[in-house]
This record gives sequence, C-alpha cells and structure tokens, in this order.
Amino acid sequence: MIRRETIVEAMYNAIRLGATKMPPDIRRALQNALKEETDPMAVKHLEVSLQNADMSEKGNGLVCADTGFPMYFIHAGAKTQLEGGFGILKECAEEATARATAECFLRPTMVHPLTRKNPGNNVGPGMPKIEVVFDRDDDSLEILAAPKGGGSEIFGTFYRMMFPADGEAGIKKFVIECIKDACYAGKVCPPAIIGVGIGGTADLCMSMAKKAALLRPIGKKHTDPEAARLEKELYEASRKLGIGPMGSRGINAVLAVNVDVAVTHTAALPVAVNAQCMVGRRWIAKIDGNGNIDYTGEME
Amino acid sequence: MAEIRDIKLPMTEEDVKSLKLGEMITVSGLLFTGRSRLHIRAIEDNIYPPIDYEKINCFFHVGPVMRQEEDGEWKVVSCEPTSSIRFERYGADVVRKFKLRTLIGKTTMGPATAQALKEVGGIYLSKIGLSGNALKDQVKKVHDVYFLDELGKTECTWIYEVDHFGPFFVAMDSEGNNYFEDLAKEAESKMPEIEKDLGIPAGYDYTEVNAK
Ligand code: SF4
Repeated sequence: MIRRETIVEAMYNAIRLGATKMPPDIRRALQNALKEETDPMAVKHLEVSLQNADMSEKGNGLVCADTGFPMYFIHAGAKTQLEGGFGILKECAEEATARATAECFLRPTMVHPLTRKNPGNNVGPGMPKIEVVFDRDDDSLEILAAPKGGGSEIFGTFYRMMFPADGEAGIKKFVIECIKDACYAGKVCPPAIIGVGIGGTADLCMSMAKKAALLRPIGKKHTDPEAARLEKELYEASRKLGIGPMGSRGINAVLAVNVDVAVTHTAALPVAVNAQCMVGRRWIAKIDGNGNIDYTGEME
Repeated sequence: MAEIRDIKLPMTEEDVKSLKLGEMITVSGLLFTGRSRLHIRAIEDNIYPPIDYEKINCFFHVGPVMRQEEDGEWKVVSCEPTSSIRFERYGADVVRKFKLRTLIGKTTMGPATAQALKEVGGIYLSKIGLSGNALKDQVKKVHDVYFLDELGKTECTWIYEVDHFGPFFVAMDSEGNNYFEDLAKEAESKMPEIEKDLGIPAGYDYTEVNAK
C-alpha cells in the first residue's frame, strides 16, 4: 500500500526537479547540436542555454521561468494499491503543484480562460493535468512530471483532418510546414522535439503528438518501421530549412521528430503536431510497493 | 567575437541609430516589465503605471518568477523574456503612447510595431538562448511594483534596475528592418526542394471540402 503523503511527496519532488534540471538526454542532444552549428548567433544561443541549465542545477534556479502547464503522466500496475484509492491522485497532484508554486519552483501561470483570473497556485478545473495508465504488472506507481512551457504549446500545436487521398505526401507537407512555422523567430524555443500523431480520433491524435514530444527519450525510434521511416525523413528535411537554435541561421531547428500512430476511420487521415521546447522538462519519480521513491531524469 | 557593447538606459537617438541588425548588446539602467495585460489595459482602458516614461523608457516583455523575502523585499527568482509577437495587436500603439526606444523580448514583432519603432526611433531586442538565471542576477534592484494585487506577480509591472543585462541581439532596428524576415524568406525559398526530397509532388494540395 502506497501512502497518500508518499504520493504527494513524489509528485512535488518530480515537478520541482523537472523545473530545475535539464534531462540528461536533452543536454547531450543540445551539446551535439552545439558542435554542428557554425553561425555565431546560433552558437551563442546554445552556449547561453546550456550555461543557464548549469546555473539552475547548481543554485536550484529554473531552467526556464515559464514553467507552463503542470502535467503528470502516471503508470500503475495490476497490484498497485494506494491509500484512499486511485481517486486521490487528483488531489495529490493539486497539493504537490500548489506547494511547488508557493515555493517558487513553478510560476503561477494557470488562469481562467474567460475571466483571466489567476488563482495563484496553478490549480483549477482541468489543471494540473493527470493521466493514469495501468500498464505494469507489479505494485508500483511511476509518476512523470512535465511542466510544459507556453511557447512550445501556444506556437507549436497544429491539427489537420486530412483524407485518405491526401496520403503520405499530405502528412509530410503538413509536418514540415508546421516545423517551419513553429520555429520562425524562435517561437517554440528550438531546437524543438516535434511530436506527430497520425490516426485515431482528433483528441487521441493530439494526445499521441503530445506524448511523442514529451515522453520519449531523444534517439529512441518508433518500433513500427513505417513510423520510424517517417521520423527519419522528416528530421532530415527539417535540417535543410536553414533554421537553427532560437530561429537563428543554422541546422538544428529540431532535436528529434517522434511519430506515433493509431488506427483510424477508413475515411479519415487525422494528423497532429505538438512541439516540446529545447529544455524538454520532465522528471520521474518511481515508487515501489513499499513506498520507497527513486528519482531519475533518464527515460527508458 | 568582438566585445559586447553595453548601452545605458534610457537609450538616446544616437545609441539607437548606431545599433546594427543582429548586433549583440547588454543594457544598464532602469526598465519596466509587462505582458498581455499591460498592453491591453494601456490601450483599451488607458490604465498604465504612473511612471516617467522618459526616464524609464525600456519595456521588457517578461513574466518573472518573484519571491518576497521576510523583510518585504522582492527578489527575482527567474526572468525569461516572453514571446513578444503575441502583443502585436497593441505593440505599435504602446510604442507610440510611451515613445519607447527600447523593447526587449523573445521572438520578434510584426510590421506595425516595426513602423512605430521607426517613427519614434526605437529598436527591438530579442533574447539569446535561455538565460533567465543570468538575467535575474543582473537585476540589481527591484525599485517598484504596480498593479500587483490586480494582476498578480506575473502580469503586473515591475521596475528593475539592471546592470549589463543580457546579452540580447538587435532583432528590429530603427529603420524598420527585421532580422528574422530574411531568414524566413530563405527558409521559404528552400521549401520546394525540401518537398521534392520528401516525395511531395509539385503543386500538391490538400483535398478541399469547403465552399471557396
Ligand atoms: S518555449 Fe521557451 S520560454 Fe517557453 S518554456 Fe519553453 S524554453 Fe521556456
């Protein structure tokens, strides 16, 4: 049985670490990009950003001040038991988010969409966002906290319902245009991770795009060879745009293109794009059945 | 790389004229902060911080993370410039209203703001990488805050005294030129070749299902 206070503790630390550390795979990818860029401005953008991440790690500062949308992606097992039942996950996430905000690890950014009122704690209808999947066979609970930045969400979200006749050409045209638009003037803080969802319903399509951008380590390819081929072709195409870090002149507009697919209606071809910014914020708390918590920035 | 110039705020007309598109600089002096709410209120409702805009003439687009210490002093936890292009609807009016010579933000602004900057003799500076931690240390003093209760810590207006703040680069000069426009044209001109490499037929278009 995992205790309620353990869950809150794990969520709080995961989102705090997510806001203050750059995941190791993202850092490695940015260092590789730095080796490739030659334009002085492109180089400076990356140098400054990596220094900034070092500073936040040392002094508990933030890798970026816009800590954005608080989100928790949770995996549970068939034997996982939570004190109070699974229904408590929402209030645990609210408590952890409010605490991290009060302690200035998250900026109070969530407001009501119509009144624009800011409750000051990042908690309100629908936020923090939590998603639970039961895909383990043990008694563990794994929580990935992802504070997702505004720039990447606001300027990096695209959806198009296409038709079977639009074919692969339509998918590719749509995605490469999205990359060009998202990276113009550094809107999504490139080098970005581009998530692409193909198929499903509109909401599943977008959710796949978001998860492909947020939850996959850099360098990991899709297991479906057709999806993996698209990832490679689109990534290589993005490097020919002439757009580099923060929209400067360069090569690395993108660190990775991650595609995910779902079966869809025989009459439809929905495609969604969601970008993650260069800080790629996410951190994981793994709780075992005895309540021991392990934190890591490395993803499998 | 050449030494990065530091320019004193408020900038003079000569300062502004001397700055080249793409040049990296730092700034020192007083600035005020704001984002969407300041733009909207200043233009729609004529509500804005009662400061001397000749002295405090640099508008920094930012929603900082701020912490109040036990002695009541405000401290900047992090301040990352925010996307200026979002403010384009009101950008030009705000520049004209306060005769702003210096804007600092992220990304760029549109043609209307470029025109207004040209009229008042102003420039737009864009951020270099992510630098919120360095920038917070370059804020030497938080002088004042306006509309904190109404707008909250992120949207309200802070007055910062900064020292060698930056670096930023000149993304829009006082002649109406925009650093990113050339780049966008270059990217656009590469699209046909890129689409060809991707196997997209020339003249390809999506299926149209709506009345035109
Ligand atoms: S898009 Fe840029 S400014 Fe926004 S959170 Fe990401 S890195 Fe920060």
